[in-house]
Amino acid sequence: MTNRTRRLNPTVLALMIITLGLATSFVHSVTLNAIVIAGSLLYLFWQQMPFKKTVLILLIALPLALGSWLSFYFFGAGNRVHLAWIYGSRVYAYLTLALTLTLTTSAKTLLLSLHQHLKLPNTFVYGVLAALNMFSRLRGAFQQVRYSAMLRGQAYHLWQPRFYLRLILIALNWSGDLAMAMTSQGFTEGAVRTEMAVDKLPKWQYGLVMGLLVAYVAAAICWRPW
Amino acid sequence: MTELGLHQLTFEYNGQPLFDHLDFQVEPGTFGLLTGPSGCGKSTLLKLLAGLLPQYGGAVTSGQALLNGQPVGKIVPYQRAAKVAMLFQHPGRQFAMKTVSEQLQFALANLQLPREEVQRRMHDTLAWMNIHHLAQRRVHTLSGGEQQRVSLACLLAMDSEVILLDEPFANVDMMGRQQLLADLKRLQTEQAKTILLADHDLSGYQGIANSWYQLSADQQLSRHDPQSLPADQPTIPVKRQPLNEGRLVANNIEISVGSRVLLKDSQLTIPQGQLGLLSGENGAGKSALLAALSQQHNYEGQIEFDHQAATKLPPKKWALTVGWVFQNSTDQFIELKAGDELKASQTHSCQPQYWTKDRINQVVGELGLTKCLDRVSYQLSGGQQKKLQLLSMLVMGQPVMLLDEPFAGLDGASLRVVLRLIRKVATDLQIGMLIISHQRVGVVDQMDYEIRLADQHLTLLGGENID
Repeated sequence: MTNRTRRLNPTVLALMIITLGLATSFVHSVTLNAIVIAGSLLYLFWQQMPFKKTVLILLIALPLALGSWLSFYFFGAGNRVHLAWIYGSRVYAYLTLALTLTLTTSAKTLLLSLHQHLKLPNTFVYGVLAALNMFSRLRGAFQQVRYSAMLRGQAYHLWQPRFYLRLILIALNWSGDLAMAMTSQGFTEGAVRTEMAVDKLPKWQYGLVMGLLVAYVAAAICWRPW
Repeated sequence: MTELGLHQLTFEYNGQPLFDHLDFQVEPGTFGLLTGPSGCGKSTLLKLLAGLLPQYGGAVTSGQALLNGQPVGKIVPYQRAAKVAMLFQHPGRQFAMKTVSEQLQFALANLQLPREEVQRRMHDTLAWMNIHHLAQRRVHTLSGGEQQRVSLACLLAMDSEVILLDEPFANVDMMGRQQLLADLKRLQTEQAKTILLADHDLSGYQGIANSWYQLSADQQLSRHDPQSLPADQPTIPVKRQPLNEGRLVANNIEISVGSRVLLKDSQLTIPQGQLGLLSGENGAGKSALLAALSQQHNYEGQIEFDHQAATKLPPKKWALTVGWVFQNSTDQFIELKAGDELKASQTHSCQPQYWTKDRINQVVGELGLTKCLDRVSYQLSGGQQKKLQLLSMLVMGQPVMLLDEPFAGLDGASLRVVLRLIRKVATDLQIGMLIISHQRVGVVDQMDYEIRLADQHLTLLGGENID
């Protein structure tokens, strides 16, 4: 079996993030948060994600988790220790859950998968894709805007609204040109297109999402873990 | 054969009438050339034919654009694309996808072709255009010329019968232009495509264009004999003048892009008060050299102004020492309205005594920009933007100015006015100017020297024929 086929489908991962993420925000349980974190990390390691990168991301999130923990520990009402751990671990539960998708899947794969299985409109899919592909050029535009001001004896600073106004203008100009080009290349809103990539989604993966959600909710209601 | 044309069409843009009961018929199977001064509406005419206007702005108040008897704007894009498609002025803004093959697939998938047909057409097109080697490249890493070829490949793959091109060479160098022109001619003769190309520059079409339409500044369309198009002239050399002292000196310069070395062990001095032409082949590194001199690109070696190292000066100060006129006009603008653009320059000008209000107004008149001052710069035509950009930078008056394709998109009359202006400002203010221009006709006789960038070196040409 190749690595690719062992992967969960991007749509399934997205559904899992939405359902388990939503459940996590209603259920107050450190234990369940920990299970979500452990499960997500296990999946990431199974997918052989770069260890260093994963750890780095987890470290970057530490101040956020710590901030949540401290604010509930010092300013919370009721069982402050329990609350502090719930909200502290919740940050990591969300983060690791999201990493299962973002670290394993490109934006293009995700969007095309969502289009195929959840009927995400093509206009949205290709609009976002075009925007993402332009994004790398926006960094250059950012520098160019600052330099063009310097050439005219002025300084743009990051806190000046007109700096962003310029960037927005550039982006609008680009997007207008691109929209025309896409239309000229036959892109039609709401029309059928040839689906070039076949994204396989075995039924059992839907079952997995349902199963995990049911298990999570059942555990939260019947077991009521700490 | 596809019948495409405008019938008694009246079009308004931003409340201003542009065409009044215009009739125009694209002749099937021909290579048509549409010329006219900047801002006369060539681009609008093509977009009307392509069915992109009025969808993307403006209003048709009478008449219509018809494709085989049907209003072209009413045909759904995926059906229209197989009949008529367009190639645009900004090469980099036509791609929704990341790589060349993805982009081709995107266009073909829009047409709802079977998957195997998409693959087949993609391979055939890449082979026909001889760009197989570009298939997996990311589009934004390609040169302007390559991007236009990829864009053309998309239209070819879609099998569009009529191909409209709006100033396709505006951001493409000479080599890229020749390559693309050859491709287009081959498409017309071998594949019986209909080509209609808008260009402000008449050179290079003798023997290529079968029909020639001219659009005047007041939007009157006339037909001319393509035989009377100017013939190709041999590369005219720049007659070298005695050179002045220079203040900007570069020594032992080495410039690379990625792993590619563009320039090494090179020296350059820019004489004050004179105009120099910087020439060189496709991708030789001319723009990179300007970027390095402006401290916007990494380099090895020393760049000094009045014996002061560029690296010792803060970027702000260097930006007021060496001015860079960008290839793309809109990149230069820092305000919304054209008038404010000039005011901003006047306030911070290095030469405030010279650039008085009266002088600026006079030059605005000479450039034909008086009516544009209240308008948003982004909505001006390409040629008007170019002139506004140039004037804004000339008013800044840095002691050294680097100009990257300052004549692109200018018609003959504008070119003469602009060259006269540049010459006068350079002489009056003793500014050293180095100019990149793929257009030589009408330009070289105004230059004082030519520096050629080739084989990673800079050479000051003697003045004899460089061919």
